[in-house]
Formats: sequence, C-alpha cells, structure tokens
Amino acid sequence: MRGLFALMLLGGGLAQTSVAPALRIGGVAPDIPLILTVLLGLRRGPEVGCLSGFAVGLLQDVAAGGFVGAQALTKALVGFTCGLIGERLWVSNPLVQVSGLVLLTFAEGLSRYWLLQLFHFPAPFGDLMLHVVLPQALYNGFLGAATVLTLTVAESWRGISPWR
Amino acid sequence: MKYRKYALLVSVLLVSLSLLSLGTRGGAAGRPDDFVAAFLTPLEATLAKIQRSALGIWTAYRDWKNVRRENQTLRAEVERLRIQSLQVEETHRENLRLRRLLALRDRLPLSALAGEVIAKEWGGWVRSVTVNLGRNDGIARLTPAIVPEGLLGRVVKVRARAAVIQLLNDPASAVSVMVQRTRTAGVAEGEPGGAVRLKFMARDGGGVQVGDLIVTSGLGGVFPKGLPVGRVTAVEDKGSALFHYALLAPVTDFARVEEVLLLTEQTGADLFPHFLSPPES
Repeated sequence: MRGLFALMLLGGGLAQTSVAPALRIGGVAPDIPLILTVLLGLRRGPEVGCLSGFAVGLLQDVAAGGFVGAQALTKALVGFTCGLIGERLWVSNPLVQVSGLVLLTFAEGLSRYWLLQLFHFPAPFGDLMLHVVLPQALYNGFLGAATVLTLTVAESWRGISPWR
Repeated sequence: MKYRKYALLVSVLLVSLSLLSLGTRGGAAGRPDDFVAAFLTPLEATLAKIQRSALGIWTAYRDWKNVRRENQTLRAEVERLRIQSLQVEETHRENLRLRRLLALRDRLPLSALAGEVIAKEWGGWVRSVTVNLGRNDGIARLTPAIVPEGLLGRVVKVRARAAVIQLLNDPASAVSVMVQRTRTAGVAEGEPGGAVRLKFMARDGGGVQVGDLIVTSGLGGVFPKGLPVGRVTAVEDKGSALFHYALLAPVTDFARVEEVLLLTEQTGADLFPHFLSPPES
C-alpha cells in the first residue's frame, strides 16, 4: 500500500512537469499534485494528506527550480486541512469536492504568496491572483470533478466504497 | 496519539521552512534541492522521453487521421470531377451529333423536324424507335426518318406527342432502293435476325458488287430519292434465279441513334448529293 502511495505521489509530482503542460488552456495549467493531495487528504485523513502534500510539493519545488519548501509547506497544509475536513464533514458529494478543490487551490495560492512574501517574492498580488491562482483554481475544479467522477464510476464497478 | 497528526504537521512545516531558509541563503554546499534533484532529474528525463514518444504516436495518429480525411475528400472530389468530365464529354458528343443533324437539315431542300429518341424496341419481332414528335408537330404516318448517315426508317404510328418509327431492319420493313453506281432498282427488306437484305434486283445488267452503296430509289412515293441505305457486304448467287440477292450493312447504326430528322415534305430531287458533305467534327 505504501509503495502504491509512493508511486502515486511520484507520478503526481512528475505529471505536473510532463502532462500538465499538455493540458494547458489559454496558458493556464492545472495543479495535478494539488488535486492528488486534496483527494488523498479527503480519503485517507490528515496525516496521509499532510505527508502527500509535502512530498508532491517538494517534488514540484525541485522540478520547477523555485523556492524549495514553499509548495511542500503549502500543500502539506492543504493535505492536512482536507484530512481534517474529511473527518468531520460528509464530502462524498462531487459538487462539494469540486467547490472545495477550487477554494483550497485558491487558499493554497494565497498561503504560498504570503509565505513567499517572507522571502521578498516580487510578483504583484492582484496580477498573481487574477492571472494565475484564480484560473488555476477553476481549472482544478473542473479537472477534479472529472477525476472524482471517473474514480466514483470505476470504484462503483468494482464494488468499492470510495469514501471512508 | 491524539496529537500525532498535529506533531506531524508541525514537523513537516518546520522541515519546509528549513528547506526554504537553506535554499534562499544560496551558495551553500550540498543544498537540499540538489540532493532531491539528483534522483528526480533522471526520472524527469525518462518521463520526457516517454512523453515525446507518446506525443509522436499521437501526432502520427493525428496526421494519419488528417491524411485519411484528406484522402476521402480527394476521392470524393475525383469522383465528382470524373462525373463532371463524363457529363462534359456527353454534352460535347451530343453537341456534335446535333450539329451534324442540324447541318444536314440546313442542307436538305425540304423541311424537316429534329426529334429525340425517347424509346427503343429491339426485339426480333419489331424493331422501332419512338421519337418525341407527333401529331401535334405535324407528323403524319409514313413520314421518312433519317439521320446524318442516311435512312433510318418510316413513321408507322403517330400519337399526339410521339411517333413510332419502323427501322430499316424491322422484319416488316421493305424499301424501294437502287444501286447508287448502276441505278439498278431493287427492294431492301429487314430480316428477323436484324440484317437487311437486298432482293429482286434484276440479274441481267445489274452488276451489283460488294461495296456498292445502296440508296433509296424514290419509287413508291414514301422515301425521297438518294437517301443512303447501306453497302453491299455479300452477293448471293442463287444459280438460275432471275434476281440478285445481296446482304447489306446499313449505313445507320440503329442501336446508337439518339436524334433523328423527320422529313415533313416530299421532293422529287435526288438527295444523295446532300449526304456527300463531310460530317462536321
């Protein structure tokens, strides 16, 4: 099971540099590792979510050549939060997951921006939110919806309950 | 146990912040991202290769689909152009035929109406064609029908808007003819097999030969004189018979007739010279 997790995380992290560019729409690419983190957090709890977010975020940081640790931190937070939400709320409704994914992507963008402000990140807030974070949040929502639906259908065929 | 997850979170956050701090200081030997990158880079390279291959296959597939679509479009275009070409060729041939027919009509010293063949009867009992001219156009029974090559037959039935022409090779057809070279008279009759036979030509002094052109004699008052009928292909020697018998090859290809001229006026003049004009190409 751990091996499968590791493979998923590695695949998710690498997908961001290989698959995501091919999925660009109008210059906006989805954040596949974030979608993975959210789904894992919701399904497997805060610990798995936190570690998954850290791992895929770290991979993204290294692969992108930016601030190493920034995405590891924010995605770990997102994964942890998702895990907590998943423990307390009924989140099997795809609409809840999709809107949650949009909000969490936006929150991750905000937290990353504030974190990077500590290191004097130069990009203006408004532009970053308008042209990067918000479109990506929406895209993640749609892609997340498709992923959730696919997973739900696949798991219902196999007779597995998708949610804990 | 209750606080394990929070401890984990705090640890992860601390590690992340440490990494950030170390990374942003710069120049430090053995930076953590270099360590991670050391095993990540080969994976990325491999993945990029796989992606490029997949992209190559996808591109090839898309190209193939495009080529296939283009091929189908071009095939349809070729088919359309082929049909168009056939139509143009058909129109050109029809134009040539009509021009020859109208040129003949203009040359003839009598009035004639051009008609189009709308039906053909090609059984052994009857050989006829139906044209789109009839009583309403002033066509009467026994009106001679000709084509640019020569005689086709005569009208045997007239309807309001159509007329049935008995062909020269109809078994019931008999036309008074003569050898164009010697002016010896005889009768050309159709046969059930589709051939035209020359009969009752005076043996003495007839001198009919293979290759002789047979034209209408003008006797009987149905056909004007001089309309080409056919050429002698064989002379039959019947021993002591009083008459010559010969086989004719009609000048008209009955199976291919599409337009005809119906002679609506009679004339005593020899029409043969009007058929000597070379056909227009």
